[in-house]
Amino acid sequence: MALKKPLAALAATALAATLAACGGGSSDDNDGGSSGGKPEKGGNAIFFVGPRTVEHWDPQRMYIGRDLNNAGRLFYRSLVAFPASNDPEEGTTPIPDLATDTGTTEDGGKTWQFTVRDDVKWEDGQPITCEDFKYGASRNFATDVIIGGPANYLFTYLDIPKGDDDLPAYKGPYSKKGQELFDKAVTCEGQTITYRFKKPWPDFPQSIASLRFMDPYRADLDKGDANNFVIISNGPYKLEGEWKEGTGGKFVRNENWDPSTDPIRKAYPDTWDFREGDTDEAIYEQLLSDSGDAQYAVTERRLPPALFDRKDEAGDRYTQVESPYVDYVVPNFNSPVFKDPNCREALKLATDKSAWIKAGGGEEYFKPAYSIVNPNVPGYTENPSFADIPDEGDIEGAKAALEKCPAPKPVKIKFTYSGGTPTSDKQASALKAGWDKAGFQTELDPLEDTYYAVIQKPDADFDVTWGGWGADWPSIGTVIPPLFDSRINLTGDSNGNDYGNYRGGPEVDKMIDDAYAEPDLDAAAEKWAAVDAKLGEDIAYIPLEITIFNFLHGSKVTGYANNVSVNGYADLAVLGVEN
Amino acid sequence: MLAYAIRRIVTGAIMLVVMSFVTFALFFASPIDPADFSCGKNCSEAQKKETAAALGYDDNFLDQWRDFAVGVVAGRDFPDDPELRKTAPETIAHCPAPCLGYSTERSSTVTGLIKETFPVSLSLAVAAFVLWMLGGILFGVLAALKRGTFIDRGVVGLSLVAYAFPTFFVGLLLYKFVAIQWELVPLPRYTPIAEGGVGGWLASLILPALTLAAFFMAAYVRMTRSYVIESFNEDYVRTARAKGLPERTVTFKHALRAALTPIVTMAGLDLAGLLGGAIITESVFNYPGLGKLAVLANSDFDLPTLVGLVLLLATFVIVANIIVDLLYAVIDPRVRLG
Amino acid sequence: MTIPGSELEINETGAPVEDDDAVVKVAGRSPTQLAIARFRSDRLSMISFGFSVIIVICAILAPILVALDVLHPNELNQDLLADTGVAPQGAFGGVSWDHPFGVEPSTGRDLLSRLMLAITWSLGIALTATLLTVTIGVILGIISGFSGGFVDAVVGRIIDLTLSFPQTMMLLALSAPAVLFIRSNVAEIPGLGALQDRDLAGGAYVIVILAVFGWPPVARVVRSQVLSLREREFIEAARLLGASRPRLYFKEVLPNVWAPVLVYVTLLVPAYISAEAAFNFLGVGIRPPTPTLGNILADSVSYTSADPTYFFLPGVLLALIVVVFNLVGDGARDALDPKSHR
Repeated sequence: MALKKPLAALAATALAATLAACGGGSSDDNDGGSSGGKPEKGGNAIFFVGPRTVEHWDPQRMYIGRDLNNAGRLFYRSLVAFPASNDPEEGTTPIPDLATDTGTTEDGGKTWQFTVRDDVKWEDGQPITCEDFKYGASRNFATDVIIGGPANYLFTYLDIPKGDDDLPAYKGPYSKKGQELFDKAVTCEGQTITYRFKKPWPDFPQSIASLRFMDPYRADLDKGDANNFVIISNGPYKLEGEWKEGTGGKFVRNENWDPSTDPIRKAYPDTWDFREGDTDEAIYEQLLSDSGDAQYAVTERRLPPALFDRKDEAGDRYTQVESPYVDYVVPNFNSPVFKDPNCREALKLATDKSAWIKAGGGEEYFKPAYSIVNPNVPGYTENPSFADIPDEGDIEGAKAALEKCPAPKPVKIKFTYSGGTPTSDKQASALKAGWDKAGFQTELDPLEDTYYAVIQKPDADFDVTWGGWGADWPSIGTVIPPLFDSRINLTGDSNGNDYGNYRGGPEVDKMIDDAYAEPDLDAAAEKWAAVDAKLGEDIAYIPLEITIFNFLHGSKVTGYANNVSVNGYADLAVLGVEN
Repeated sequence: MLAYAIRRIVTGAIMLVVMSFVTFALFFASPIDPADFSCGKNCSEAQKKETAAALGYDDNFLDQWRDFAVGVVAGRDFPDDPELRKTAPETIAHCPAPCLGYSTERSSTVTGLIKETFPVSLSLAVAAFVLWMLGGILFGVLAALKRGTFIDRGVVGLSLVAYAFPTFFVGLLLYKFVAIQWELVPLPRYTPIAEGGVGGWLASLILPALTLAAFFMAAYVRMTRSYVIESFNEDYVRTARAKGLPERTVTFKHALRAALTPIVTMAGLDLAGLLGGAIITESVFNYPGLGKLAVLANSDFDLPTLVGLVLLLATFVIVANIIVDLLYAVIDPRVRLG
Repeated sequence: MTIPGSELEINETGAPVEDDDAVVKVAGRSPTQLAIARFRSDRLSMISFGFSVIIVICAILAPILVALDVLHPNELNQDLLADTGVAPQGAFGGVSWDHPFGVEPSTGRDLLSRLMLAITWSLGIALTATLLTVTIGVILGIISGFSGGFVDAVVGRIIDLTLSFPQTMMLLALSAPAVLFIRSNVAEIPGLGALQDRDLAGGAYVIVILAVFGWPPVARVVRSQVLSLREREFIEAARLLGASRPRLYFKEVLPNVWAPVLVYVTLLVPAYISAEAAFNFLGVGIRPPTPTLGNILADSVSYTSADPTYFFLPGVLLALIVVVFNLVGDGARDALDPKSHR
């Protein structure tokens, strides 16, 4: 199930994903190897964007994995980036891109310094300067215009005090209120940029490589909201003409990109044609029959379960990858039913993962999960609270737990979820069937446009929902705190991403802070595992499954690779098309 | 005549104003906060408030409507922030009159969006129109001539069935079978004349135009048939026959001509309705017309675009009605004096 | 269209006869009886009528059968799915004695149960919407036609306004806030508490939109009928005798207006069934997992190659229902007005 926009923007970066991990993945050409011969320069490549159109090409506003990855490979370079590799270590370690090295910090991550290369230019020939990076970062603070991006990371870390309105006292480069505060936190000396943070950010380079909010931007070309679909390129391609929302756009070579400055991007195709709006079925029917333009196409959309039986028609054009995403059930701690731990225990035991998986497409599409952390994130361990429950659930155990639940039987619960696709409704029905067997009476409440507006209200009257998440970069610190740290989520009128209104209390808060502060990665991993275990004890979530990607690509695509460095999607940096 | 025309136009304009007011009331007086959708994922309450202010959603709907109405006549700036005008004027988008609003989701003036999508809907509507009129009238006349025979029943039966299948079903059937499985036509993808020439453009319209036309053709077959049969019973046709005119002349010169007036009237009004985009057909085939825009705007709650589209569509219908009324006034003097 | 009225009663009296027994009184038949007779004699109309009765019975029975546990529209049977867990095992989408229409992909739910329940919902919405449309249209048409002058002009303008709004767009755009409004605010009105239910609220929304945009043509037809009736003697007579306005409207005018309205009703129902299916496809109205013809169709389009039965059955069923009701409507129109033709 595709995670719903606008919030399903998961720039899930570099996870050490091994391809075709779960037993069945038969295809031999799976491990990021070339398909279709060695890539060469030339040809016109096509990217099927699909029904979920691009919302922003403005780097400070982008937050959808697909777009972040594609932009990073085609036209947006930053200080550091991930190399095109499927090796779990190599693919998730940043290397210098527009900077001379991967950044230096003398104080454990509280201050970071990068030096911008001298020989890199924008698409119009202007050199890329330290000021451009400073300006790009400053745009994140113009929160009335630059909307949609992961600016919260910057607000949390950059050393700028909060104003009365709970937002940073700096209001961005358009209004320039508080500009002096920003100018102290980010400084330029020649080509060297220094970022000063309130607290140590040891994996800052990871966030630069994964997200685009630290990308440089041209102050003289900035038109605020009107630039939403404007691309000012410093990569191998630039946009020809305008981007038409709903239709797409065409990218041609950027003459001012110097390949000798760019170790990552091979830029084999002459052009890239991005097409928006087609349904998954339409895209995959074309890919299956390998007809016409589809021969030159790749996509981030996944093979629909209904067409899976025909994948053999595609031979080795089919690849299977474990994604970075984990789906999970969230009981609402503010609900009269689930504030009681016995009721939550019953819910946990009654959750039928295998029915959910089957309803969503079966074992080629999902793998059962035993923690909210994806197994490919460094430091993953199975959560002991979930490890021993059978995938079909434990109905007898659930019934026993439900007896101890104080709510009147049958226990009426309302399952509010992001609906709108037939698959999501089938999956919801699958969960409902399991819960009802244990003695619940589930009311299904699918919402579409209004989903986030509803569940983010702490006083919303739902009892349980489901969510999906992937790490923003390879650290458990981008999974657990964004979802369960009540200090950053539960703010007055909204529960942020903590849809279940979970409050860990001072004990959990301390555990989180300790884990953040731990400089040794292995020790940190253990600390995070402890936090996860506590979440499991409290049943803050119930893990469901890990999504598996099933992709097809056209027969004339060469060097096709599903790389860990782009979350398992097709790596546009290294693929080509035949002429 | 002139007085009548002016009266109709003024009435039409007043209706548009009233409609814009009603639309604003319906959209902006709703319990859902549109700012929630524009803000994004990691949005705190404070950020949402700022978004609402920037988009103008925190004004009450009367003020919003007033700003909109003024914008239609005089143009408007987005965001209308005097401070911003001083510090960063290049970030202010100017929307010249007639300004139908500015969509932040799409970062474009609504008029701009309409300019891009209207040609697609127009092409589709006209193509469908030609198909259904030709097919509808031809088969309708055929059925009328062969009334009671097997051919007649066949035509009426088929049109009944065509009328019964919902458009999206027909469209998907055509798409899955004609385009994909049997590969009789290239995969439908809208090709403007600039890209594919007239040939490419027409080819790209076949399947969706057929889908759209199927439903109307069925209705027009039956309508034509019944009007032609009716006029066969009229005195003047009997007279023509009595005069010994050949059957073909009787049919086409007399009976059909009389039947054409109501048919063409209806067709004109139907076409006007379609100019606003065939929502379902465009969705099924993914053609970037006004209808598809409406669906996209609806899914991300892009209120300015929705409002602009509603008013545009209403304008088409009102103008078509005025044209029809004026034509009737020319033909029938009682109308304009009444 | 002929106007049913008392002067069509034909009383033929023959020449004076001597023998009482031999008198054959030719009793006249009322126009209604004439219409029914004409309808009866038309085979196609009778067959369609029969089918439509079967459909209505299905619609009424389905919820009862679900409550009696005979039909299982929500029960998962994932064990009946093929290995990949998508398509049903067995030919024709998993047809078997237990599942005469096969099962749904990915969940294994019984298709027959779902289709029967879908008919209930679709027909229920269509009939309620028709009832509401006709009620509003008739009332406003009568008032407008009778009052004339200012009232008539106002109603006329409202009709023009309503007809100028793009129905589908308004329906789409307003659906999220309107349904929320119904579920939270309208449901608070005592007696309407059931509207909190998401399905009922969604259905109510579709009904309201269909009625709001559907009543103008009905009102126009009724109004023109009223205009021609207004000056008739029996109306004048009733007025002279002191009949109050409501009495005039309902006892004198209404009975003479029902014929074209009836024709409209029989044509509205299939149109609304079709419309509801189309709205479902766009995502408005009753949402899955509650089955409606539109929902099932919208889901089935993904499975044209994997499970063609699942694709064709609901589509053909929908078309059948629409055709059947249309034929009944045609038959009714012909029966009521033999001058109009087939």
